[in-house]
Amino acid sequence: MTPAALSLWAGFAIGLVFGAVGQRTGFCLTRAMHGLWITGDSNKLRAFALALAVAILCSQALDAAGLIDLRRSIYLASGFSWLSVPLGGIVFGYGMIMANGCGARALVLLGQGNLRAFVVLLCLGIAAYASLTGIIAPLRTWLAALTSTDFSPVPPTLPAVALGQTPPAGLRLSLAVALSAALAAYALASPTFRASARDLAGGLIIGALVPAGWLATGVLGADDFEPVPLASLTFIAPIGETIQYLMLATGMPLRFGVTAVAGTFLGALIAALASGSARLESFSSPQRMLRSMAGGVLMGVGGALALGCSIGQGLSGLSTLAIGSLLAAAGIFTGASLALRGPLRLPQI
Amino acid sequence: MIRRPYIEVAMQQPNPDNRISRRSIVRFGAAGMFLAVLNRTAHGEAWERLEAVRKLLGDRKPASEGLTLELPLVSEDGSSVPLTVRADGPMTAAEHVQSIHLFATRNPNPEIAEFRFTPLCGRAQVATRVRLSESQTVVAVARTSRDRLYAAAREIRITTSGCLVRADSQTDSNEMAVRVRVPERFRPGEAGEILTLINHPMETGLREDRAGKLVPQRIIRAFSSELAGERVFEATLYRAIAANPYLRFYVAPKAGGDLVLRWTEDTGRIATYRVRLAVA
Repeated sequence: MTPAALSLWAGFAIGLVFGAVGQRTGFCLTRAMHGLWITGDSNKLRAFALALAVAILCSQALDAAGLIDLRRSIYLASGFSWLSVPLGGIVFGYGMIMANGCGARALVLLGQGNLRAFVVLLCLGIAAYASLTGIIAPLRTWLAALTSTDFSPVPPTLPAVALGQTPPAGLRLSLAVALSAALAAYALASPTFRASARDLAGGLIIGALVPAGWLATGVLGADDFEPVPLASLTFIAPIGETIQYLMLATGMPLRFGVTAVAGTFLGALIAALASGSARLESFSSPQRMLRSMAGGVLMGVGGALALGCSIGQGLSGLSTLAIGSLLAAAGIFTGASLALRGPLRLPQI
Repeated sequence: MIRRPYIEVAMQQPNPDNRISRRSIVRFGAAGMFLAVLNRTAHGEAWERLEAVRKLLGDRKPASEGLTLELPLVSEDGSSVPLTVRADGPMTAAEHVQSIHLFATRNPNPEIAEFRFTPLCGRAQVATRVRLSESQTVVAVARTSRDRLYAAAREIRITTSGCLVRADSQTDSNEMAVRVRVPERFRPGEAGEILTLINHPMETGLREDRAGKLVPQRIIRAFSSELAGERVFEATLYRAIAANPYLRFYVAPKAGGDLVLRWTEDTGRIATYRVRLAVA
């Protein structure tokens, strides 16, 4: 099997696990934000923190060991826009609350029969590609060109920029261990979280899927002549790409992101059917449908501007310690918080 | 007076009982046929009128079957588009495909590459990666040793790149380093695939460096391969070949021997590689 084909199958397998685990454990950043600001239940937020701890530790370990070179990922590309990325994050975060779940969550929900998620996914995918290569793209590239920043030749991570050079592998690894320990300590501090097997499993397994993605594209997909671009789990461009692939498969190559999206949907479907929790659901009112559609569009546009979503930047991006990912994640957190609390919060419908 | 919505008014006035009249069919039919003819002639001649293509074809009409050009329908990144061209047909001393020329109709210069084959290739098929500046038609013209001409064209759409990383911005610091992969074993007379890649930025001469100065053109101009002293496959490359030029071609050796590959930069610098082909 060619390296490219191997990486595609690995992406599909990673998606299957993500979908199944997401469906069974309810791993979800939106619920985490609801828990933080509304219900007071911090379990989902701690699960996300645990996932991030695993993702950072394992990804940095792979990089320090020389198995992958994270500088080849888009998160460590030499230039990014200091305005578009956090702004996109805010837009994405707000849309995520409107749609009641991010792109990855929508795939999992669709797998368990939630047709609301289908509407969200369509709007997200089309809006994302409208921003990446469609009618909104000129606006996006103009804004990015106007506000781009470049840290070359140093990779744009906090430690590298602070030191003025690429930090040695030992230092990078120590930093990763410290960050992971802090995040894990926060996660495990709560006895209710420690007692919740579902949230523990969700955090650990989904966190581990991020380095699995780097391995699938960077090691399995490694080839001197036709290398697969280094990438891990992300759900904005791939959802749009999947919609496009369905229509253009005869003249378009299959890529890691698309197989991961397909796997996520199928994994959730299989898990839902096997556990008897699959149920067809739809909108209870036109206002709710409109809000979900708008949420999907905001996630598509925001995610395109921010170069990722709650998983793409929040987990995969942050695992590279990129400054851009920090900005994007802060934006997502801010946008979601704005939608839940304060003057801009969404009214009840 | 109640104003009726525009769409109701528009639909009611010309054809109140929705019958499709004979007159409207004739009108639409004529318009359709006219457009179809116009489209075909416009499409068929657009790339044939390209001067570089005309120089090759003269006023002869090339055959359209027998030459396959593979390109994606859409590519986000125009700086590195995978392309495969294949001419079906015998590769014997009596008759074989001699050359395939590639053109990009809307690039600053239309020439992409010229590939030259010998019967030792076993198969007239080449894969590479090209640079396309915008959505356009890519054309391939093949000529056989008996002076038969074939042509194929494919349209490709180049969209804005989705991410900030361009595929050709990551050339390694090891310029002129080569990587080659050959099959472990050949069966006598059977074509096997040779993969080659050389690290090189393929400077187009259109890029500005950080100071705003134009970086002068510097590309790999020629590639050649010889098996036991006999010519196998050669290529003339232009700046439309993507950075880190990748060439995948075929060799059908009759007996084992040393395959010698040579890349020549337009400044005169040369890189070579020698590998033994085992024929079982």
